[in-house]
Amino acid sequence: MAFPFSEDHDMIREAARGFLQDVYDGGKGPERIYEAGIGFDAAGWKSFAAELGMAGIAIDEDYGGAGLGDLGRVVIMEELGAALSSIPFSPTCTISADMISAFGTDEAKRDWLPKIATGEVLIAYTDGHDALTINEGKLSGRVNSVLYGVQADLLLMSLRSGDRLKLIGIPKTVDGVSANAIETMDPTRSLSNVELENVALSDVLILGEGALTQFDKVVKTSFITLAAECVGGAQKCLEMTVEYAAQRVQFGRPIASFQAIKHRCADMFIMIEAARSAVYAAATADESNKVEAALIAKAYASDAFFEVAGHAIQLHGGIGFTWEYPLHYFFKRARANRAIFGSSARDYARLADNLLGDAA
Amino acid sequence: MSALRQEFSEWLTDNLCGDYECLRGRGVPGDEEAFPELRKTWEAKLGEAGWIGTDWPEAFGGRGASDKDIIALAEEYAAHGGPGRCGHIGETLLAPTLLAFGTEAQKQKYLPGIKSGTQFWCQGYSEPGAGSDLANVKTKARLEGGEWIIDGQKVWTSLALESDYIFVVARAEAGSVGNKGLVFLLVKLDQPGIDIRPIKQMSGSSEFNEVYFTEAKCSGDDIVGGVGEGWKIAMALLGFERGTSTIGQQMTFKNELNAIIALAKKNGAAKDPLIRNRIAKAYAELKIMKFGFLRTLSSAESGQMSGADFMSKIFWATWHRDLGELAADVMGAEAEAIRDGEFSSLQKLFLYSRADTIYGGTNQIQRNIIAERALGMPKEPRGGQPVMKG
Repeated sequence: MAFPFSEDHDMIREAARGFLQDVYDGGKGPERIYEAGIGFDAAGWKSFAAELGMAGIAIDEDYGGAGLGDLGRVVIMEELGAALSSIPFSPTCTISADMISAFGTDEAKRDWLPKIATGEVLIAYTDGHDALTINEGKLSGRVNSVLYGVQADLLLMSLRSGDRLKLIGIPKTVDGVSANAIETMDPTRSLSNVELENVALSDVLILGEGALTQFDKVVKTSFITLAAECVGGAQKCLEMTVEYAAQRVQFGRPIASFQAIKHRCADMFIMIEAARSAVYAAATADESNKVEAALIAKAYASDAFFEVAGHAIQLHGGIGFTWEYPLHYFFKRARANRAIFGSSARDYARLADNLLGDAA
Repeated sequence: MSALRQEFSEWLTDNLCGDYECLRGRGVPGDEEAFPELRKTWEAKLGEAGWIGTDWPEAFGGRGASDKDIIALAEEYAAHGGPGRCGHIGETLLAPTLLAFGTEAQKQKYLPGIKSGTQFWCQGYSEPGAGSDLANVKTKARLEGGEWIIDGQKVWTSLALESDYIFVVARAEAGSVGNKGLVFLLVKLDQPGIDIRPIKQMSGSSEFNEVYFTEAKCSGDDIVGGVGEGWKIAMALLGFERGTSTIGQQMTFKNELNAIIALAKKNGAAKDPLIRNRIAKAYAELKIMKFGFLRTLSSAESGQMSGADFMSKIFWATWHRDLGELAADVMGAEAEAIRDGEFSSLQKLFLYSRADTIYGGTNQIQRNIIAERALGMPKEPRGGQPVMKG
């Protein structure tokens, strides 16, 4: 049990790791997912969420969850990242759960949080509250690059009116909703373009409402799980590299004995440990520091993952460049994570605005 | 705020003023030559009021301060602009070592001087031939008529000119090599056998010194641990370094970053998008360091190393060196000008921070340590001859 975790967290980590080891077979899982061609592991998600009970880790105990908060999620996302899983924990159990917890009516919470906790429902969250328009009682609009949009049962969206937002849910089964999978460079995680075409407002569930600034806060805070996934993925890349370097012999010695290799591995280690501190700091931050800490965690960890994955390919030499060896999947996931929630440059620019005032 | 913190805060407000006002923010690394005499008086004031060794056992005047208290006190100290502590080597390095390994007589003899802020210590580890290869110590010690006689040379000794005592790692067993056969001795500096020569550094200042030993003496009782245990004691002392003695440092870093931010706003550098990005990153990484420190502290309590322990030195050192470069870039052309006949604090930061990635284990040695101890990669070959091509 190492700071800042409790014994509960350690137990969850062990359970998640054991499960993922079986299902993802020590790095071979991504190839299986690629072969299946949909970037989604339906069976894995079902077992992970329902049988293992992982979906409710951060959901309030009143709604059937374990109430282990951000740190609980961090543990799970590190493990999911290390396995490079195709399990939609992050959209359903992080941002959707948090949105409903923060802005949902009592009824919405009672309806949806227990279902999330038991893995009965897959919810995709689509950022982009300015994307929707209402015309004569019909809702239309398009949101691109939605995580697990095709597989979702419910699309969670927000509808803007001034500086207030309505949290709405749109069941995928209603008329006018379509989600089309995009073929992506990272084939292990499903992305879709979601389109609403004259969806009747009577088909739309109004789940709650809140201030625009509060929504923004929940979105930013959800970055902590993305950052934790980056830490887990980067850690796996380093482990694969150290193991490979110990076996690969050139010039009559394992390449792990050369400083050129050792020092780059040390640099990878430093970036990962710094990213880890950033993520744990964000997960344990109090409310007043949470958003800033989450931005730092996302910016630092997503950069670290990408850089570490790149180093890993370099240090593996030719084998790292093959499709057969799973490193490229990590590299591609790392690249995707740098983009789908905005770049680290944007996060740092935001921090700079807070520290220095606006640039202009 | 805890009662102890509150009390310290009030004490600082009441005492860090008047004659001591000029000490605010002074004497930090790179500025260690500032007001040496006044800072020693300040140490005695701290000691008299009971603010040194607050976490020591009560038998030696401690006040039962916890690690959390120590952090809080260090934060208060830095927040009030408390000057660099010339007593920190004694208080945070030697004292815990004596408490753990010293004899009762050694504790009685040396702890009160540290506690009262009246006796100052420096560290005699590095030698001309023992830098990164620290175990290659050549300074010799022999026991003669109940006294240790010491011959040799130490170098990079911080604050030797301002100190009263030095702890010395020396070779006591003839023919021994590496970390075997060493002793850890407590030696008074003011004696005929010791000659101290300051080294002028690229920062213009001279906190580092050479210390020459020619038949220098200490009592036969002034050995910590036994003959052959010098390395163990020396390493245990460094173990204390990663704990409490780094607390104040982060507050200093924060003050330095704030000074850079203030200047950037004032001179317009804050409009430059690249400068903005570097300032934001420096800020983010300082937050990361702060949490890394909490991880280190808790691993020290549990006795299990965390990843943060291995990377903390190289991370802060590299961060601080980058901060020095950022400071100079924010200053722009003004970084060239020497005003008032001496370097400004930001110029000192720029120059002095080049030392950070060298002392206390260079970045290159840190990477070896991480690769070998944290990642289990093969050790560097020792003692071999390089293959030269003619």
